Amino acid sequence: MHPRSRITLEFILDNLVWFMLIVVLALFSALIPNYFQIGIFTNIIEASSVLGVMSIGLALVIITGHMDLSVESVAALSAMAVGILFCSAGIGMGIKLSPEWLMIPVSLLLACAIGALIGLFNGFLVVKLKMSAFIITLASFIWVRGIVLAVSGGRSAQDLDPAIRWFAIERFAGIPLSAWIAIGCFLVFSVMMAKTPFGRHLIMIGGNETATFRAGIRVTRNLIIAFVMAGAIAGLAGWLLAIRTSGATANLGVGLLFNAFAAVVIGGVSLKGGVGALPGVYAGVLLLASINTAINLMGLPANYTQVIHGFLVLAAVLLDTFKQRLRQRLA
Amino acid sequence: MMLTLLSVLVLGLSMLTTAAAQSKGVVYYLVPTLLDEFQTGSVSALEMFLKQTGYEMKTLNADNKTDAQQSQMNDVIALKPSAIILAAVDFNALKPSIEAARAAGIPVVEFDRQVTSTMSDFTSVAGTIEIGHVAADQAEAMLKAKKGDVTGKILQVLGDPGDPYTLDIQKGFEEKMKAFPGVTIISVPALQWEASNAGTIVADQMLANPDIDLIFLHAAHLSVAAVASLEAAGKKPGDVMMMSSNGAPVGLDLIRKGWLNTEVEQPLYAQAAAIAMFMDKIVAKQEIKAGEYDVLGLKGVVTIEAWGPNIKIPGAAITKENVDNPAFWGNMKPPAGTVESVK
Repeated sequence: MHPRSRITLEFILDNLVWFMLIVVLALFSALIPNYFQIGIFTNIIEASSVLGVMSIGLALVIITGHMDLSVESVAALSAMAVGILFCSAGIGMGIKLSPEWLMIPVSLLLACAIGALIGLFNGFLVVKLKMSAFIITLASFIWVRGIVLAVSGGRSAQDLDPAIRWFAIERFAGIPLSAWIAIGCFLVFSVMMAKTPFGRHLIMIGGNETATFRAGIRVTRNLIIAFVMAGAIAGLAGWLLAIRTSGATANLGVGLLFNAFAAVVIGGVSLKGGVGALPGVYAGVLLLASINTAINLMGLPANYTQVIHGFLVLAAVLLDTFKQRLRQRLA
Repeated sequence: MMLTLLSVLVLGLSMLTTAAAQSKGVVYYLVPTLLDEFQTGSVSALEMFLKQTGYEMKTLNADNKTDAQQSQMNDVIALKPSAIILAAVDFNALKPSIEAARAAGIPVVEFDRQVTSTMSDFTSVAGTIEIGHVAADQAEAMLKAKKGDVTGKILQVLGDPGDPYTLDIQKGFEEKMKAFPGVTIISVPALQWEASNAGTIVADQMLANPDIDLIFLHAAHLSVAAVASLEAAGKKPGDVMMMSSNGAPVGLDLIRKGWLNTEVEQPLYAQAAAIAMFMDKIVAKQEIKAGEYDVLGLKGVVTIEAWGPNIKIPGAAITKENVDNPAFWGNMKPPAGTVESVK
């Protein structure tokens, strides 16, 4: 193959998910009435903020060759904690801090701290005690959701304080601030993964943990940090979830985990670890949000929406597999 | 030392026996989920009313899983309780388990979700299809008041499409709205009854169909996220008419704030009280007679259906005018009076 053609093909393969997103958006815009408008595209970016942030944490752990199934429940617990403390209706305690702006960092820190603590617990059991990440984080997925139910008693917190809700209402360049937080997270973590020794070490650990250890890299410490970060980021996703829905219900965020997995895989992160970049994950998240928006606008019979959703995700994953095969042939 | 231990054990056992003797028996309540306020409320209401009529209640949560509820039924049958109260995750999948319990001599009572494919000993419902009918009446009145005629566009946000509860409300609502061909209904499901899904649906639909006159959400907790979306889009209370169903506390709060026009209540307290009122007859396998019964001041009608005695207590429409009525379970003020067993 001619070197120039090879470079072009590799560029397309590296960014396939972005091309898929463009094609899907063009198709939906042409076929679905009212899809093609700035407001809908803004909605897609806004709707993908929670899933996007959660997918970053999940991708970090998957890149190291492990798994974190607890992120959805961690987000729900963080959202419920913020809801209970800072909502004024339902089970909300309506706590107010003075000065008012203090409520933003305090609620954010609380959400992230809850997530980081659960991440530390998961990381300790998986890395130090060498237990299976799948089982440990599955258990956390269950017990953390149980805590959400226990602390809320099945009731909702409503009416989040306007000082915090402000992020979901105010816009910059037509996009809600909550979506800018997600975009900012992707930028920061993408740079961290690509340009810092820590990011490169995570990829190396996922590629070959033993070899990385023998190369003198502190595998245990880096892995625990990855779990803590995944938890803290899931906490941030929960904070976004609470401000987006102006409170928290006991089933808030149910189903997000599977979408996060789909986004991570579509975004090109290998479930075996060692492969993946976060910009691709963001494209995967946007792709899923575009599909969801299309389903919302098509007015399909309720019983069929999950079938269509599932098949569209399957199609995206199959295309990704095709990409990997093509890349192996090129190598 | 041994003697002291033995005495403590005997004393403990005798206390347990005394407690058991005070109770007419144990009733198991198989709740479909505890992730929404109606279900959580149903546990405390049933427990309170059954205690008033002399029964002890134990609850098992199926986490919205049919297979888990089937296993729970099997386990509970082995425990031989006085009765089983079932709010089925899936209306029909529990049929074999209901039949197995009844074959073992354990009466089965259906709560909130009607199972018509097999015999039960008693059923207490508000009627999901009827909730849809009440909602349709409200929609008709709201559209007429706004436009002078029953025309316009309604966005119907369903719950999970796998839950027959929401599909029944949809059926009842659309059945009655068929009389108004000038009304377009757009129905979109909020998967897993998850609030942020409802918020996204409302945000998308308000852009694609800015002429939506009324939003009907199948649960109050979904309307919280819908309101958040409308607020983010710069809407104020009253800009879009809204209603939801089940009468949860959050729905009542939204009525007070002017966002929700109507909440179609499921009369949780009355539904639960009706079961307690008839529990003696159910346990003793006595005949339950058809007719009208006063249940906490509401008119409950018992009919003898192919699937057994069925009490239906109609859901009421809650608006700004009557939102503070303590009879609505969403106000979280359980009735002060006690429930008497039907003789």
